Amino acid sequence: MKFSEIFPMNLNLKAKKKNTYDAIVVGTGISGGWAAKELTENGLNTLVLDRGRNVRHPSDYPTATMEPWDLPRNNRITPEDEEKYHIQNRTGWVNEATKHWWAVDTDQPYIEKNRFDWIRGYHVGGRSLMWGRQSYRLSQMDFEANAREGIAIDWPIRYEDIEPWYDYVEEFAGISGQPEGLAHLPDSKFLPAMELNCVEQHSREKIAEHFNGRLMTIGRVANLTQPHSGRGACQFRNKCNRGCPYGAYFSSNSSTLPAAERTGNMTLRPNSIVNKVIYDEELGRATGIEVIDAETLDVVEYYARIIFLNASAINSTLIMLNSRSNRFPDGLGNDSGELGHNIMDHHYRVGASGAIEGFEDRYYWGRRPNGFYIARFANIGNDRRDYLRGFGYQGSASREGWWRGVRELSIGAELKEFVQTPGQWTMGMTGFGEVLPDHRNHMYLDFDQTDKFGQPLIVFDCEFRENELNMREDMKNDAAEMLEAAGFKDVTTYDQETGMGLGIHEMGTARMGRDPQTSVLNEWNQVHACKNVFVTDGACMTSSACQNPSLTYMALTARAANYAVEELNKQNI
Amino acid sequence: MSMDRKEAIKRTALIMGGIVFAPSALGVLKGCTARPGVDWNPQFFNTDQARLITDLSDIIIPDTDTPGAAAAGVPAFIEEMVSTAYDEDAQNQFLSGLDAFNSLAREAHGNDYADLDPEVQYQFADDQNRAAVGGEHLDEEGTAFFLQMKELTLMGYFTSEVGAKETLRYEKVPGRYEGCIPFEEVGKTWAT
Repeated sequence: MKFSEIFPMNLNLKAKKKNTYDAIVVGTGISGGWAAKELTENGLNTLVLDRGRNVRHPSDYPTATMEPWDLPRNNRITPEDEEKYHIQNRTGWVNEATKHWWAVDTDQPYIEKNRFDWIRGYHVGGRSLMWGRQSYRLSQMDFEANAREGIAIDWPIRYEDIEPWYDYVEEFAGISGQPEGLAHLPDSKFLPAMELNCVEQHSREKIAEHFNGRLMTIGRVANLTQPHSGRGACQFRNKCNRGCPYGAYFSSNSSTLPAAERTGNMTLRPNSIVNKVIYDEELGRATGIEVIDAETLDVVEYYARIIFLNASAINSTLIMLNSRSNRFPDGLGNDSGELGHNIMDHHYRVGASGAIEGFEDRYYWGRRPNGFYIARFANIGNDRRDYLRGFGYQGSASREGWWRGVRELSIGAELKEFVQTPGQWTMGMTGFGEVLPDHRNHMYLDFDQTDKFGQPLIVFDCEFRENELNMREDMKNDAAEMLEAAGFKDVTTYDQETGMGLGIHEMGTARMGRDPQTSVLNEWNQVHACKNVFVTDGACMTSSACQNPSLTYMALTARAANYAVEELNKQNI
Repeated sequence: MSMDRKEAIKRTALIMGGIVFAPSALGVLKGCTARPGVDWNPQFFNTDQARLITDLSDIIIPDTDTPGAAAAGVPAFIEEMVSTAYDEDAQNQFLSGLDAFNSLAREAHGNDYADLDPEVQYQFADDQNRAAVGGEHLDEEGTAFFLQMKELTLMGYFTSEVGAKETLRYEKVPGRYEGCIPFEEVGKTWAT
């Protein structure tokens, strides 16, 4: 129900004033948290919305300190919950310790014309609570790739445009890692690196020795290796995805939202599903947003001078496609027809593993919430392949634990003693491959079918194509080749069938570009034809590179938010 | 399981007015709490099944210088897994595997597994383990019941406080990461 239907004119104006802010941020995940922080710190009275319940740091992490024996069924969910989370659990990661972070699939349906694994967290903080925390800069090579190869459209920015903003967000977020001086994987402003373990260090050396230019380094990760920005250092419990009571990894809840709250300029409204952006045909700008209250299903409008969409690539695109007006009959800012198209992700779950002899007198202390990273080498320098772009690897080495006892010939006291000594060292790695933007890979809305909140259902129609499938062969074989060169035995390769989306790096559905005829956003993440709406989540990506993208979303968001404030001050928007 | 403990359990059961499986309090004495349900009142398994699971888990991981599976609450853990984590097909498969195991014991030794002497129980389980690891006794799903039981026992035991802290090494808050240290500084396999 709209306010105009229930209030007389003067009350309506009062209500409108009460619901008016300088800025609105839609979503509180990685990018929304940054938009909230930057806008409020610049003095803007900001309404911050999330579709899910509030999650306060650290009191709302119910399983954060639970021990293995505190969790039912050794952390396994019930068959009933498997049904409830049937898509989320395509990851295999929904468990008793984390199930409250995953979207309930039976409540939030969508349509898969082709398999699409849409993995989500619907609560304040979103996936920033659940993410893998791997943080890598894109490089000049990545920003130039589309133009150089004639793929899709060119990025409207280059590395030098984003470089200072990488510096800026890293100094606040805290990224630990090892400087390596690679041009195609630029170093961050690092906190001290975590250690590689014995076998990883051995492998780093052997790989460098056998393969010119291939580099294994410790994962660059948004975990604090020393106290930082008022948050505590990592305690190496490896329970990050339950929420960290020390605030030792970057999440909106522990980092950006508290910063926004400290300004006194943030109004946080959980349980607020943004349905539409309100576009004023006469003013030629967006004036606000329409919210469905997730608890009451009431419809409320809020107004602001600027709007940041940070609902995640897919949901920000849903909001825009659902914001139809005379000016934008196909969705807000969709003059190009590209809105919802060019979905990308990273394809993975392909690689190799093996075992290595030796190092039996060595072990490790602590549960490192991180592994190694092998920087991209395919199609760099003289390493030429019969497909475009490339892939990086993530993996780790460890010694076998008690589970090796299951297939042992012994039982009883002999077995009990046997498993008290750790087994051999094994190491595995999985590739993360770049996905090319392709207009055919798209999402659209089915306006005839709605969910329980009244929102149209999303239809996904996208798939991995020739370039990705060709690359997977190398992702598998190159992993095996490096393991063998490093002295591993019993090397086995794997290539698991995955849907697009399973990388949980979905992006590209409202891409940036110079030309309004071929892109949705400009070089400042502004909607070309509606300049007071900014989209700075994964939707904005013009290509995917092969690096984990969250750090880039942080940098682009901080950059766009500070630009928005400048433009507001100049009264340009 | 010793005959004394079997007696103790029978007595406890009489006192409680039902069948309760209460293994030794060794773990508790050492300062660790066993899994919830160590004083176990089976709901899903019948009495015969519960006796078999209790004895077999304790044969796989017995009391030594540290407590065994039953003292760590593993039988109740297995019931929890089978009754709440398995779907109906998997439950039926487990139960028929359990029956088949007991039938084999009866064929070989003329008595239910739970009524055999501990030495005979050990020998029979050891034979079954060797056959299962060697790939025999596969049901139609290709899962050897014995290995399934063994995995459940190890899983339940090493994710219990007793198994994790006393038999293996566990640090709630490690506080640091060191990637390459002499094994002696840890001394035992990490539980997790």
